Amino acid sequence: MEPSQLTRFEAAVLPHLDAAYTLARYLLRDDHDAQDVVQDAYLRALNYFDGFRGTGAAEGRSWLLAIVRNTAYTLRANRRPDAHATEFDERLHSEGGEDDHPETELLRAVDREAVRRALDALPVEFREVIVLRELQDLSYKEIAEVAGIPVGTVMSRLARARRRLEQLLAAAMKEHD
Amino acid sequence: MKHDDFAAQLDAYVDGELVGSEAQDMERHLRECAACAHAHERRRVLQATVRERLPALRAPGELRSRVQLAVRAAARVTPARPRADWRWLAAAAVLAGVVVGTWKITASRDTAGALAGEVLASHVRSLMGTHLTDVASTDQHTVKPWFNGRLDFSPPVYDFAGRGYPLIGGRLDYIGQGAVAALVYGRRQHVINVLLWPTQRGPTAGPAAVTRQGYHMLHWSAPDYTYWVVSDLGVTELGEFSRLWRQADSTAAR
Repeated sequence: MEPSQLTRFEAAVLPHLDAAYTLARYLLRDDHDAQDVVQDAYLRALNYFDGFRGTGAAEGRSWLLAIVRNTAYTLRANRRPDAHATEFDERLHSEGGEDDHPETELLRAVDREAVRRALDALPVEFREVIVLRELQDLSYKEIAEVAGIPVGTVMSRLARARRRLEQLLAAAMKEHD
Repeated sequence: MKHDDFAAQLDAYVDGELVGSEAQDMERHLRECAACAHAHERRRVLQATVRERLPALRAPGELRSRVQLAVRAAARVTPARPRADWRWLAAAAVLAGVVVGTWKITASRDTAGALAGEVLASHVRSLMGTHLTDVASTDQHTVKPWFNGRLDFSPPVYDFAGRGYPLIGGRLDYIGQGAVAALVYGRRQHVINVLLWPTQRGPTAGPAAVTRQGYHMLHWSAPDYTYWVVSDLGVTELGEFSRLWRQADSTAAR
């Protein structure tokens, strides 16, 4: 790699290590796997860097996160070859009582552990849009790039993911009572 | 727009994705429609709750050094190496030991963990590419002089071919931003990397064993040098190999 290319890489891609780790950690729910995926993703990013047309650090972030996401999905598929036998179906996975949601007062009081458990219980396709939006503050356009879906799908998927998250939190709080 | 259209766009509104007249239309509808206003409030609270309760994570320091090393190695660019880093670490460990006794243990454990990550990265890198050795020779009298002028120390080099661990060669590597000697040995089809640097340069620990991703690492500090031995070889044989090193070391010291 040319020194000037390396400088570009270090400016556009290297600073997003925390974001890469956050995404991998939540997608895989395992620290070791997350670390391996991030390292692997960085090596892939180096190899594919010629194809990176962006200029700024924000573009570097979605570009890297897309690689992290794909690397994580590959690892998941290898670990559980049957996991993708049933294709992810948004409608199917968001079934549940429409009105089964906690009151806002209760929601404000829910603790960190319960939120984490509810997020972990989401299908991975829902989990990733929540993490990209709420933890990484990505725009719909950026999420679309990372997840490889149209912007319209980002909107509907986020809506379903949040509804599912509410239901899981409501169920957790009922258990708690 | 009808109620259902607004309801479908509620998330986009909460996420600041509606602009101009779209946002204004939504705001007007929220003033008029109690159901949507209630749903909007719930969304807002859910978003705030998730954001407050689930902070973004920080990558562990060990992963940071693994990635930086891997990037550097893949880009084949020699890193700048401020020697002061090692001295600073040692000084910090001593200071910490004086101030709070228990902190030093934690600090050195973290340091050993980070070192283990770097040693493992070095080993994996040496196996992946075409860069297992800079000097390929089974003759210790060829390998040892090769390091002259490349390192500020002259590493001990032994050959254990008679014991089933033949020397394959040596190479220059980087651990903790300092240049170190890497000696490569074979055992059947397995490769053993021995990474070593002057003990005075960095933190000492061990003797101890670390297992990560199927690789075993043994490390110890002798008065002159600190050693890290890494391989996919079984821990028993790796232990035997390490004993041979320590024996050779103490014989040489006499």
